[in-house]
Order: sequence, then C-alpha cells, then structure tokens
Amino acid sequence: MKRKLLAATGVAALAAMVLSGCASGSAESEAASCTNEIKVADAPQVSVWAWYPAFEQVVDLFNETHDEVQVCWTNAGQGNDEYTKFSTSIEAGSGAPDVIMLESEVLSSFAIRKALVDLTEYGANDVKGDYSEGAWKDVSSGDAVYAIPVDGGPMGMLYRQDIFDEYGIAVPTTWAEFEAAAQQLKDAGAPGVLVDFPTNGRAYNQALFAQAGSVPFDYDNADPTSIGIEVNDQGAKDVLAYWENLVDEGLVATDDAFTADYNTKLVDGSYAVYVAAAWGPGYLGGLSDADPDAVWKAAPVPQWDTANPVQINWGGSTFAVTSQAKDPELSALVAKEIFGTEEAWKIGIEEAALFPLWKPILESDYFRDLEYPFFGGQQINKDVFLPAASAYTGFTFSPFQNYAYDQLTEQLYAMVQGEKDSSAALDDLQASLEKYATEQGFTLK
Amino acid sequence: MTATATIVAPAGRAPRERRSRLDVRRQRWGWLFVSPFLIVFALFLIFPLFYAFGMSLFTTGLATGTQFTGIGNYVKAFTDPLFLEGMLRVLAFAVVMIPAQLIVALIAALVLDSLVSWLSKASRLLIFAPYAIPVVIGALMWSFLYSPRFGPAGTLFELFGLPAPDFLASGTVFYSLVNIVTWQWSGYYMIVIYAALRSIDPAIYEAARIDGANGLQTALRIKIPMISSSMVMVITFALIGTLQFFTEPVVLRNIAQGAIDAAYTPNMYAYSLAFSYSQFNYASTIAFSLGILVFAGSFVFLFLTRKQSGLK
Amino acid sequence: MSTFTSPADTIDPLTSHENHSVRSRGRRRGGRRIGSSVFLVILAIYFVVPIWWLFVAATKDTAGLFSSPAFWFDGDFALFQNIAELFTHQGGIYWRWLGNSFIYAFAGGIGATILAILAGYGFAKYRFRGRSAIFTIILGSVMVPLTALVIPTFILLSQYGIINTPWAVILPSLLSPFGVYLMRVYTQDAVPDEMLEAARIDGAGEIRTFFQVALPLLRPAIVTVLLLSVVGTWNNFFLPLAVLTNEQLLPVTVGLNRWTALSNAGAGGEQVWNLITTGAFISVLPLLLSFLFLQRYWQGGLALGSLK
Repeated sequence: MKRKLLAATGVAALAAMVLSGCASGSAESEAASCTNEIKVADAPQVSVWAWYPAFEQVVDLFNETHDEVQVCWTNAGQGNDEYTKFSTSIEAGSGAPDVIMLESEVLSSFAIRKALVDLTEYGANDVKGDYSEGAWKDVSSGDAVYAIPVDGGPMGMLYRQDIFDEYGIAVPTTWAEFEAAAQQLKDAGAPGVLVDFPTNGRAYNQALFAQAGSVPFDYDNADPTSIGIEVNDQGAKDVLAYWENLVDEGLVATDDAFTADYNTKLVDGSYAVYVAAAWGPGYLGGLSDADPDAVWKAAPVPQWDTANPVQINWGGSTFAVTSQAKDPELSALVAKEIFGTEEAWKIGIEEAALFPLWKPILESDYFRDLEYPFFGGQQINKDVFLPAASAYTGFTFSPFQNYAYDQLTEQLYAMVQGEKDSSAALDDLQASLEKYATEQGFTLK
Repeated sequence: MTATATIVAPAGRAPRERRSRLDVRRQRWGWLFVSPFLIVFALFLIFPLFYAFGMSLFTTGLATGTQFTGIGNYVKAFTDPLFLEGMLRVLAFAVVMIPAQLIVALIAALVLDSLVSWLSKASRLLIFAPYAIPVVIGALMWSFLYSPRFGPAGTLFELFGLPAPDFLASGTVFYSLVNIVTWQWSGYYMIVIYAALRSIDPAIYEAARIDGANGLQTALRIKIPMISSSMVMVITFALIGTLQFFTEPVVLRNIAQGAIDAAYTPNMYAYSLAFSYSQFNYASTIAFSLGILVFAGSFVFLFLTRKQSGLK
Repeated sequence: MSTFTSPADTIDPLTSHENHSVRSRGRRRGGRRIGSSVFLVILAIYFVVPIWWLFVAATKDTAGLFSSPAFWFDGDFALFQNIAELFTHQGGIYWRWLGNSFIYAFAGGIGATILAILAGYGFAKYRFRGRSAIFTIILGSVMVPLTALVIPTFILLSQYGIINTPWAVILPSLLSPFGVYLMRVYTQDAVPDEMLEAARIDGAGEIRTFFQVALPLLRPAIVTVLLLSVVGTWNNFFLPLAVLTNEQLLPVTVGLNRWTALSNAGAGGEQVWNLITTGAFISVLPLLLSFLFLQRYWQGGLALGSLK
C-alpha cells in the first residue's frame, strides 16, 4: 500500500515535470511565446512589449502588411510592472524585448543606463515631420532621438453638465473662476465636490505646475552627468499654494487616484470635474456603474492668464528600441511603422481611445470632426484636445523620474495631512532631489 | 543508541578498524543522501547570496559608473534614516503583531483543548482556513474590505451612528496591517499550539484536578509552561517573518500610496531601490543589512529563551 | 519515549486523547462551556468573514459589486455567468493560469519533498563531518530576505536560458529548509537505528535499506512536508512575478494581480472586477477543500516541529 503510494507519487512527479517540460519546450519556440499569431512563418521576428488596449488588432494589421518582418507581441505588464521587468533584464544583460512601449517620462531613466538605441542612426529623422514639435521634443534629448511618439495626453477639463446646471455653475475658464465654482458648489450643499486633488497624481501634479511656468528639470542625455533641478520655483509654489487653499477650505477631495474608490467617484457624481488627459474619456467610458443621468462635456483646461494660455500634457507613450535588440534596423522599422498608418490609428482611436500624435491622422478631418457619443456627440478633439496638443511645447524629465515622483507624492501627502505648508513641501522636495542627484554622481547646474 | 555499538563490537575483529571503514562508508552515504538538496541549495541560495553580497560591495551611481566601495554601502545603510525608520517600524510591528497573533492562537487553542464537540472541530477548520489563502489574495480581499466605499465599514458604523473610520490613513494603516496578518496567520499558530497541547499527558490534568486546580489555573500553570518549546518556535518564526514584512504592505500600497511609502519596511525599501530606482547595489546592501539584523534578533531571542525552548 | 514503538502511533494526538476528553467532558460546568462556545463562534466568524465576502462577491457582476452591500447577495446571482466569462476573457487565460499553478505547485512540491526526504534521512541517520554546521546553515537560510536573492537568481536563470519558462519557477521552489528540518526530526524518532543495522547485517545495501525499511515509517511526515511544499509553491507570488514575462506562464496569483492592476488603471473595457473576485474564489477552493479532507495530516505534521 505504501509502496503503491510512493510509486503513484513518483509517477505524478514525473508526469508533472514532463508536462512542464513540454510547456517550456513549446514556450521556447518563438512562435508560441507570442500572444498574437505570426502571419509569415519564415520572416525574422521582432519582439514587442506593449500594453495598449486592442493592440492585437494593430499587430495583426502590421503582420499582414509586412512580409519582411513579423511582430511578436507580449503584454509584459502595465506601466511600472513592465518597467520593473525591463529594468531587471537590463541589469541581467538579457531578457529584454527588441521594441518596448515606454511612457515619455521614463525615457531619460532608461537612456542613461544605455538601454535604448539612438534612433537617428536608423532613420528617425525621416518621420520627424509627422509629429508636432512638442511631441518630438519629448522623445529627443539633444541630437539623439530615443523613441518614436505614439500617443499623447493633452489636457482638458471634463465636467458634468447636469451637475453644473443643477447648481447654476458656469463653466470656469480661469483658475480663479474654478475656485469660485468650487465654493459655489459647497455653499449649495452639494453632496460631492468640484474635483479631486490626488497626492499620487505624479505626472498630473507635475503638469499643473508646468502650466504656471514651472520647469523642474534641465537635462540632456548628451551631457548625462549634469542636471539642473528647480522643483520649488515660483510657478510650482503658486500652483501648490492654490490647491492647498482649496484643500484647507474643504472645496476639493484628496483621494488617491487610480483606485477602485476613485474610479467609482469619478462616475457617480462625487466629483463634478475631471481634469483629464485626452485618454481620459476612454477611461471614463470604461468605468462601470456610471450614473445613467450623467451628462459629460469637455472644455479647455482653466488658465492662470487668459491672455497667455499654456497647454499641458499628461502622459503619452512611445516605442523605443532596446540595446538588446537583435536587429536594430528592423526593430526601428517596426517602431516607426506599427502606428504609422491610418488604419492602425483607426483601431487605436476607436478601440483603444488613444490620442494620436501622428500628424496625418491628428490633422485629418476624420479626427477633428469625430463625435463622441459619450459626450453627447460633442466634437471634443476640435473643441479641446487638438488646440491643447498643438500648443504643447514639450517637457523635460529627469533621469530618476520614478524617484522624483515618489518623493513628490510623499511631500504632497504630508502637506494634505497638515504636516507642512505648500512652500515647505516643495522646498523639502528640492532638497531631497538635490541630495539624491549628488549621491548618484550628478553635478548640479 | 547504545545498540549500535553492541552490534559492531563483539564480532571479534579489530573494532577500531571495522568502525572506521563503516564510518567512511556511512560518511559517504550521508553526503550522498544530502547532496541533491545541497546542490539545489547551493545553486539557488548560496550562489545568489554570494553574488548579492558581491553586488553590495559596489556602488553604481546613475551618472557615474560602478565602483568598488567595500563597506561604504553598509555604513550608508546603517546611517540611512529610511532604513532605520523602517527597522523601527518592523520592530513596532513585531511588538504588536506577534503578541496579537499569539494571544489569539493561544486562547483559541486552549479553548479548543478543553472543548470537544463538532463546534470545536468546525472552528478549528475555519480558524485555520485563512492559511489557505495566498497572501496576495488575502491582502486584495482586505483592501476591498477596507475601502471606504465598498467595504462594510460604512454600513456597519452607520448602524451605531458613527462615521466610518478611514482604515488607510497614516495613523490607522499600521493597525489595518496588523489586522490582516493576524487574520492570516493566527490559525496556523493555533494549530501548532493545539497539537502541542494535545500531546500533554492527561494524567497531569488528573493530578492537578485532585490538587484542586480549576480550569484557569490548569491553563496558566500547567498547559502553557508545558508547551513553551513550541511557543518559542512559533515566536521565532513569527519574528523572522515580521522583520521581513513585505507582501501585505506592498499590496495595500496600491490603494494607500500616501500612507504607505516606498520605504515603509526595510524589505520594501530594498525592493523599491532595486525595481523602482534601479539601484541594485544599494538594494542588496539593504537586504543584507536586514538579514544581519534578523539573524541577530533571532539569535538574541533564542538565547534569552533557551531555558523555555529546551535548546542548549 | 521507548525506542521501539514508532512515533507514528503518537503522532496523531488528536485522536489518541479523545477518550480522555470524553470522560472529562461531563465534568465541565455548562456555563463555561457556553462561554467557550460563544468565544469560538465569534473567533470563527472573524476568520471566515473575508472568505464569505469573497464568495458573495464572486456571485455579483461588476456593477453589482459596487452598488450592493458587501456581505449579502444582490438580486442577480451571476456566479455562473462570471465563470463562463472566465472562459472567454482573453481566450480563457484564467484556466491556463490555474493549470500553471497546479503544475508548479505539484512539480515544485513533489520535488521539494523528495529532496527533503533524502536530506532529512541523510542528516538524521548518518554521522558525517560537517553535519551540524551544514544543517545550521540550512536552517539559517530562512532568515535571508527574498529581495536579496531576486536579482542574482534572475541573472542566474537568464544565464542558463531558462528565464521565462516554468523551470524558472519550479527549480527555486525545490528548496524547503523547513521540510528538511521536519524530515530530519521525524526520521530521528521514527526510524530506529536498530532496524537499519538489522537490515544492514542482513546484507541490504544503503539504498534498499532506505526504501524498504525507512521510507514506509516516514509516511505521515512525508505527507505533511508534501502538503506544506505544495501550499508554499501554490501561494508563491514574488518569484513568478519577477522571472516570468509570458502571460501564458503566469500562476493564478500573479495573473489575478495583473488583472487588478489593469482594473485599477481602468483603461476602456479592462475593468474585470467580477472576474477577479470569481477567479480569486475559485483559486482558493482547491486548498480550502484539501484542508478539509486532509486535516489529520496537517495537524499531525505541525505537531512534529513543535515537539522538538
């Protein structure tokens, strides 16, 4: 009896090992490890990591139209999950894909570790004309170009028309009017607030500061060891003081963004306004349990000075070629062309709710006149996001942006908890970033 | 044990010679049996450990290259306020969480020991059940339950007319984490203690009863001292686990980014350094420093309780 | 403790003392019994509440999750719809994940048990030089923080070309220092030296002695170590997260975590809260059920470690 048990255990172990061996064997072969189907079996393959929704359709489109190269796509995780894997494989020297989707804010961080290929050698400047100045600046550093832009996040203000109507609030065009609207909402005893101020907004918070002229980082990958840091300039301080006031007066909420709680509050009227990037509408539309009576509209983001409007950007992704790419030229081709056709962008716009940076579709009538049922048919691109995108002049990120954002979150949280005021928060942020940069061997400009 | 010697000796041959041949043979077989485990151990623990230690002796600045800095990193670690704060925090967790789990486990085990019914059998299973839940899923579940919106706290506290507490505020998140760990692990410790209780010779209870001891006195004066060795084992493992606190705060951080920062515990600090900031060398240093402190802590604890645990 | 009776008789303390409790039961005062029972019920409720929540949540669709009370069902019993959706979402990848978890857990668990049995036997029954030192090192290894090992393990696995394959998860899972400890302790008591000597005198080789004399006596501990190893590997999260990229290879813990991250980020149509709760519920069922049916071994085995 016991021997039978042992024998059975042994057989089971063997079976399990063989099965897993089979699984690994099949996973080893290139074709099976792609999430998508390879259309041309003997063409060289370029591995791509990306997390765009509906991306498989874009990949299929590319594979069907390119005989000379096939894309092998995997979703290696979203945002930081993917970056963690990428970072580890850089350190290990293997395991990175040929082409990788990176948000523009982390390009410097990977370029400084020599993980990205300078695409100017592979014809990046051929496509420069297809992108706006701001978009191109975000992927360049000095003369080098580290990625091809894909989508962007020009910002606008999405608001609940029905709530505004209910309380008689006019659509604010300046931040002063915005504050007045918030006060109005509170005085009327509304159950929700005007907007949320998330301390973990990261790029969102940064963009708000940038709108007042804050230029926190001065960095160029061509001179990688020196960096200018000024996160506590007057622009940032003014903006943060403004929001600190709103928080203290109880006019805004301070919930963390991107949690289930936050998602629900976005759609159930707890927040009347969502200062959003162009991918915001897709985000809103995908949230469940939306209030069926909600009427959403889009308007330009409020300004500090209507005479000199400043447009801002939140997020946006690119395709970069990694230094572990087996064939950099083919990889560069994939990066340039995968979102380089109208058809691909139709999928990107309609299925994935992306905001294209590729001019041929960005400036097309199709995109400009696109009516969004979610907004009651409003042509939000024409009204809001196209002007925002075209006036965007780009932004420089630090090569340790993850750390900078974590520190920003900590300082903002401390401020919201009442531990320090806005000016002190930014000064402390400046001090900690300077210290970190020096420790990492940078010279401060 | 003496049986071995008596079998070998009377054979009449030179005992020393025969024993040494047997010894050699035994030695080789000993190594043979242990070697499969040791090979995997060497490959996946010893070797990576040495590699990690090697990494901790170098420093890679983002702007500079990699340089050998020897002990420099360790000096930095032990004077790093983030690391030290994290250590204090896990010590605080240990001081709160371990007694919490232990008290729950001990009382439950004592009650179960004195009560035999279908209820106790069912309770035993239910209390142990959380151990079956992977830590990640458990933390996910609790993050839902703690949510101001979707958790039951709102409706429950409304019944009493009180506002629902924010479980994820910087003041309360500590206790929220204590709760999660207590929930997850008390059952496991309870089973260990229960089994130890069950192995006490019941004749002792009879003697105590004859002497007039009631239930409580029996529990305090007899049961607890007699299971002290397993209690020490339980506490040691809990201590090691708590000092390395990682998974639950990481999962909860997704919904409480302000209250739980990237260096909330030393293990999280090492993780953030490596995976968020790409500082792999310093991350290794922090991990090793943590390991040193865990080892020292366990050693001190076992030394202090050497009488209770029966170790020499 | 007598040397010839196998501890297997005493190793199941739950049943062996049942008689004594029956005799003493009548003498308990009823009041205390009720107090104890109430206490147990409260405790049991505390431990069960989140699991109950999970079950209730699994029966709701996403909208229902966010609109109905946490601990009771909403109007729509959507459990089977959710399960059906698990088959279609992303091509039924959830079941692939579940299958992966099974494979990793059993391959890793069985492998770890085999290694632990052999090593435990070696440590227990053979006096070789360096035995104590090595055993202490093995025990000390539980104190090593996992974060220290991840990068080097990743690099090592990459060098051997097995990163992003099932082996990357299974091989490191073969290490169970606690299993070695349990097996050694149990073998020391359960397998008397005299029996081994007798077998050797009869002319049996070491291997035959091991298989025919020792192994049958170790059954209870083997089952316990097997269960502990399988559970440990099943619940493994950090290791597969670090070494696996291919979505098809993820175990269910990492897979569900990925769905949670996606749902939090909320890009259009990616909110799958109903699948997460249903998936989590299904994934804990195998272990919960095994606990129910294999109680004896659990509780007996954990006693081993505590007695020494």
